[in-house]
Amino acid sequence: MGKQSMGNIAYNELCRMDTLLYLLVYPQRPLLTTRTIELVGYDKLGAGQNATVAVMSYSGYDIEDAIVMNKSSLDRGFGRCIVMKKYSAINQKYENNTSDRILRPDRTGPAAERMQILDNDGIAAPGEIIRPNDIYINKESPIETRGTMVSSTGQSDSKYRPTRQTYKGPEGETCVVDRVALCSDKNNSLCIKFLIRHTRRPEVGDKFSSRHGQKGVCGTIIQQEDFPFSERGICPDLIMNPHGFPSRMTVGKMIELLGGKAGVSCGRFHYGSAFGEPSGHADKVETISETLVRHGFSYSGKDLIYSGISGCPLQAYIFMGPIYYQKLKHMVLDKMHARGSGPRVMLTRQPTEGRARNGGLRVGEMERDCLIAYGASMLIFERLMISSDPFEVQVLAHACYKGLYHLLHCTLQDNIYLVPQVCRVCGLLGYYNHKLKAGICSTCKNGDNISTMKLPYACKLLIQIWEAFLLYL
Amino acid sequence: MEGVSYQRFPRVKIRELKDDYAKFELGDTDASMANALRRVMIAEVPTIAIDLVEIEVNSSVLNDEFIAHRLGLIPLTSEKAMSMRFSRDCDACDGDGQCEYCSVEFHLRAKCMGDQTLDVTSKDLISSDHNVVPVDLADSYAYDSSDQQRGIIIVKLRRGQELRLRAIARKGIGKDHAKWSPAATVTFMYEPEIHINEDLMETLTLAERQAWVESSPTKVFDLDEATGQLKGCLLLQEVVVVDHEAYTYDEEVIKKAEAMGKPGLVEIYGKEDSFIFTVESTGAIKASQMVLNAIEVLKQKLDAVRLSEDTVEADDQFGELGAHMRGG
Ligand SMILES: [Zn+2]
Ligand SMILES: [Zn+2]
Repeated sequence: MGKQSMGNIAYNELCRMDTLLYLLVYPQRPLLTTRTIELVGYDKLGAGQNATVAVMSYSGYDIEDAIVMNKSSLDRGFGRCIVMKKYSAINQKYENNTSDRILRPDRTGPAAERMQILDNDGIAAPGEIIRPNDIYINKESPIETRGTMVSSTGQSDSKYRPTRQTYKGPEGETCVVDRVALCSDKNNSLCIKFLIRHTRRPEVGDKFSSRHGQKGVCGTIIQQEDFPFSERGICPDLIMNPHGFPSRMTVGKMIELLGGKAGVSCGRFHYGSAFGEPSGHADKVETISETLVRHGFSYSGKDLIYSGISGCPLQAYIFMGPIYYQKLKHMVLDKMHARGSGPRVMLTRQPTEGRARNGGLRVGEMERDCLIAYGASMLIFERLMISSDPFEVQVLAHACYKGLYHLLHCTLQDNIYLVPQVCRVCGLLGYYNHKLKAGICSTCKNGDNISTMKLPYACKLLIQIWEAFLLYL
Repeated sequence: MEGVSYQRFPRVKIRELKDDYAKFELGDTDASMANALRRVMIAEVPTIAIDLVEIEVNSSVLNDEFIAHRLGLIPLTSEKAMSMRFSRDCDACDGDGQCEYCSVEFHLRAKCMGDQTLDVTSKDLISSDHNVVPVDLADSYAYDSSDQQRGIIIVKLRRGQELRLRAIARKGIGKDHAKWSPAATVTFMYEPEIHINEDLMETLTLAERQAWVESSPTKVFDLDEATGQLKGCLLLQEVVVVDHEAYTYDEEVIKKAEAMGKPGLVEIYGKEDSFIFTVESTGAIKASQMVLNAIEVLKQKLDAVRLSEDTVEADDQFGELGAHMRGG
């Protein structure tokens, strides 16, 4: 319903080529609506599912708004979604009248295994299962793209280099080529668009929300037989922690639960609006309660529930009924990230940032503060230097220093990296002279007081930047 | 295993028995037994369900995974599931799961030629084994077996659309995937025991009795017309328990009695050794068979514990429980 929820986006949703499209496999119409929702037509395009919710604590994996989900419900299709992602390739034309070309795939060569999903036209076939590193278009580009005009046909194979496009998706998941569209772009060159489909079932960490802004991630998934059940045989789809209610004061959600429960018992969609009682477009809690009692439920919406683990009745009555739940598009599969060693930024030589660049996880200021408070100085040293951007100035550049000595000596308190003879004359970075096989200080014009040390590359960079505008440390 | 024996002799009384529905009392046993039976029925009674789908042609509006998921959830008649092999420990096909001992093959071919939309249903699935076919709900209910109830709809086809596939059904249990669970509903309740304090009830007026009887959301109590007429006075209509099992442990009547200033008007307990089971089957196996199979599975599990005399093996399999069973 909101911008983040999944569901039907439009009636033509399966004929579109969006860059990113999230669809729900089994969208439902909310049991509890409002007149406005009907007028706007929001209930014509489902954006969630009516989940039977039990408001109770279970297993401890439901703290901080996390929800506990029933595995059997997930097996049966609850929260299942389709993610469609567009990948495109352009058959570029160049100024020397050459253009890219798409080749028949190589069925025997070394790349044959990665080209299995390609049709004979060199383009991936719809319906094929695509795995990471699979080639979805077997394209070649001319090596020479400028200069003298060349006739567009009849170029020899040696004038081309392969520019195949490979699919980079989640490892171990089955994605499918849903559709392939050929069209021309604004430069009138051939544009090939691939829509890759991935059906996902909810997993721990996926985000769900009711329509009252009560969002939470899936904390754990539990077998149906372990789930609580009522003597009618009702077993909830998900369990929500009651601590979500007092501070948020989402009375509407409680009314939705009651109204939804009355709705399923009597077979009429109820209105959940807090306003408009005289017009008949709202169901009062009293009348909802009467409906509940008429169908053998407690007026309060609470049921006696048995523990699925022991079979004994629970000590408290549990507030249980249907609530419309939305699956939000934030899923762990798209966010999950960890790395050991990996790429670094050229300028600072520190690890890159962000999942897309396979970046490192930053030990930020606050984390550093914790470590300082704890006194784990060796750990700080390791994280901020050894595992980040250590720079051996003893090989590449020599430092003769005064201020620098004190700065680093005080923070690191580590004499291993500090050779005792130091230039206490100017305090600047020196360099290593390969002819003389000795460190030289270019300010003092000698190598008498040179020593080697280890420091973060970013720190060396900072010192040099300062030196560049005559600020000496 | 020395010491006191806690062996009990449970008693079963069948109340109602239909193909897909059973209601029975389980007495003289504990909640642990009743719950074990319930859990096994949901999670460990094997059935057969479609597990692998090879799609040849699919030009329908639903995508391949969608259809495969729907096919998996169709209940198949699974009388032979108990004696069938799991494909993972089938010797005949080396765990390939495609041989006659551990799998059943299905074919589906449907193409819409006319202008009307064609419903592809579970009836269009052609089985290689006449014992394993999609459950026909029309048989158990008195639906008129015309085109009204034609099996479970898989997908709808428009003119020119086609669906052609091969599916392999295998044996499995509900623990692995809910499609293998034969249970639609398995639940039990503690049988309530209701005692009305007659002396205190005598002190109530007819209106008060009426109000008290109506305070229960389910019809547990009623005013007895007969006794009232017998004594020739409407005021003395007695409150009787009409259906003690309708009581949902909601305590509404107890609260009402307290509100009326008559605490102790009624006392209600749950009998701790009597359970009323309600069992509904998906149709894969008969409800009665589901209970029997559950007992069989439970027995096998207990046998496995008992037979593991080898300490290492037992500890491997059951951890502390193994030592406990040996009386350690
Ligand atoms: Zn110097
Ligand atoms: Zn086999």
